[in-house]
Amino acid sequence: MSGDGCVAIASDTRLGQQYQTIAMDVPRMFKMHDRLFLGLTGLYTDTQTLYNLFKFKLSMYKMREGREISPETFANLVSSTLYEKRFGPYFTEPIVVGLDKDNKPYLCGMDLLGALACEPDFVTLGTSTEMLLGACETFYRENMNEDQLFEVVSQTLMMATDRDCLSGWGGVVHIISKEGITTKTIKTRQD
Amino acid sequence: MGESDYSFSLTTFSPSGKLTQIEYALNAVAAGATSLGIKASNGIVLATEKRMSSALMDETTLQKVALVTENVGMVYSGMGPDSRVLIRKARKNAQTYYQTYRESIPVSQVVRQIASVMQEYTQSGGVRPFGVSLLVAGYDYEGPHLYQVDPSGSYFAWKASAIGKNMVNAKTFLEKRYSDDIELEDAIHTSILTLKEGFEGQVTANNIELGVVGDDKVFRVLSAAEIKDYLGEVE
Amino acid sequence: MMDFGTPVLEPGSANGTKQVPQFNPYQDNGGTVASIAGDDYVIVAADTRFTLGYSIPTRKISRVLKINDKVMLGTAGMQADTCALHKVISTRMRMYEHDNNKRMTFNAVSQMLSTVLYYKRFFPYYTFNIVAGLDDKGEGWVCGYDAIGSFEQRKIVCNGAGTKLMQPVFDNQVDWAQSWDGAGKPNLSLEQATDLMKDAFTSAAEREITVGDTLQIYKITKDGIQLEEFELKKD
Repeated sequence: MSGDGCVAIASDTRLGQQYQTIAMDVPRMFKMHDRLFLGLTGLYTDTQTLYNLFKFKLSMYKMREGREISPETFANLVSSTLYEKRFGPYFTEPIVVGLDKDNKPYLCGMDLLGALACEPDFVTLGTSTEMLLGACETFYRENMNEDQLFEVVSQTLMMATDRDCLSGWGGVVHIISKEGITTKTIKTRQD
Repeated sequence: MGESDYSFSLTTFSPSGKLTQIEYALNAVAAGATSLGIKASNGIVLATEKRMSSALMDETTLQKVALVTENVGMVYSGMGPDSRVLIRKARKNAQTYYQTYRESIPVSQVVRQIASVMQEYTQSGGVRPFGVSLLVAGYDYEGPHLYQVDPSGSYFAWKASAIGKNMVNAKTFLEKRYSDDIELEDAIHTSILTLKEGFEGQVTANNIELGVVGDDKVFRVLSAAEIKDYLGEVE
Repeated sequence: MMDFGTPVLEPGSANGTKQVPQFNPYQDNGGTVASIAGDDYVIVAADTRFTLGYSIPTRKISRVLKINDKVMLGTAGMQADTCALHKVISTRMRMYEHDNNKRMTFNAVSQMLSTVLYYKRFFPYYTFNIVAGLDDKGEGWVCGYDAIGSFEQRKIVCNGAGTKLMQPVFDNQVDWAQSWDGAGKPNLSLEQATDLMKDAFTSAAEREITVGDTLQIYKITKDGIQLEEFELKKD
């Protein structure tokens, strides 16, 4: 979700196989650099593989070009990478979130084949995406500051994951602003 | 023993540590028509002589200054056919970059990729080095850049440079006339004057070619009419 | 519109399989109903959009049935079954009043609906119901049902297409479900509940194609039933 010169990304930390919970502390959001986060939902093995793949690609990019990749460029890189596997895709749906060089928030979500959907306000993906959409739609305001953004994002995450038996067991929120990254862990219903 | 004993093979070093074939490739470049580039504070100009071997040739169909991508262009000195291969590869690489990143390729990346192609041809069997030096000019997110790429695959960034037949005199001329804050219009005039210095015969709008990229980030080859206007200003 | 669906393979015929169109007795006409109950009031809201696939046959369908001054029934899902169900319930209600010489109470209605739905256990009404009303003490309650009559009495219920979008919002704002210790849980007044309902439906209309057009909000208090109509997005 975007705010005024800041942007937040949040996810739950449950790893499950249908109704069996395997782990409760699994990271789904990865810092690609100080102003860019990648969130990956879906099949966890693909989440891990893609994270490693993009870490590699970004390191090469940084060394070759001598600069950090901008969020929009990274989103397009993710999209191309996913489409390369058009007929045997990665089963993950990524969210790319970051601040561009003018400190303007950049948000975009993609499906598993790389179709980009850039939004100015918020993007939701995962098993409880509809619930998140309804909650975000109701509580989102434009130009929130960091504290307000944190409140809204953590409350909507909790609301939606409480109604989804496949999500939950704690949440993590990252807020990216030009001063830096703030990470907070939320205690949710543990069920 | 001597250099010449090692000049038959590209993949054998000579005793003094040189690859003679590359030296000879540079000779091929030095025999080619002069090309030059000047980096201004708000853009770059590339200029070249269009040397026709006969008055019967239709000079309007020959284009030496080539567009690589919207914001990057290049010009060569040396063997035209070799440059065509490199231009094609550069264009393809630029589009591949755009397809992956949806962003215009930075000039340094174009140059790096082309230089590595040229280097491959100095270390493989059954091939010869490219007989061209390239001047690559572009305006990317960092500003204007001018690079020269040699047949060995080495590349350098320049504020102003010349390659080809008259390069020594041209570079001396440019050194005198170049200043860090030169503007694009001035640079265009300077480039025409530099070409005129070593030109055999009369410079007309049809026997030189100019390519320009300004801070609008669009590389254009100037039309004969525009060149004629500049020539008139220079007189 | 008769729905013959996509042809299905008919097993066990002469040459093994044959494709035959099959009649699908159900349709999803969209819609959402929601209700919030307070200490002395209940509000029932339903949107008025009737969808069929991606078309809208009408923007003004009523999904709510007034059973008596204290109890209302809201239904989302298939409109044909809704009409049939409402007729059955009205008839049963009138019979009850004749037989027992008194109005049906909230508890009676909620139990009756459950049994009516369960009668059709093996060919159900494709309906998602809520029964809202004031009980004997004047306190507001709502019951939410599934298609075959399983129900639960609560203070807030949503049913229908927009449930997934709206239920979390109600949990948070009415039940104060995400707060650590429940301190500060508000006792919503009628106006606050109505505003919340409007916000929730507006959000649902943004993201759910079958929700939109108009929102009918029925407010049940000891003074009777009032209707408020609120415009939603029509796209």
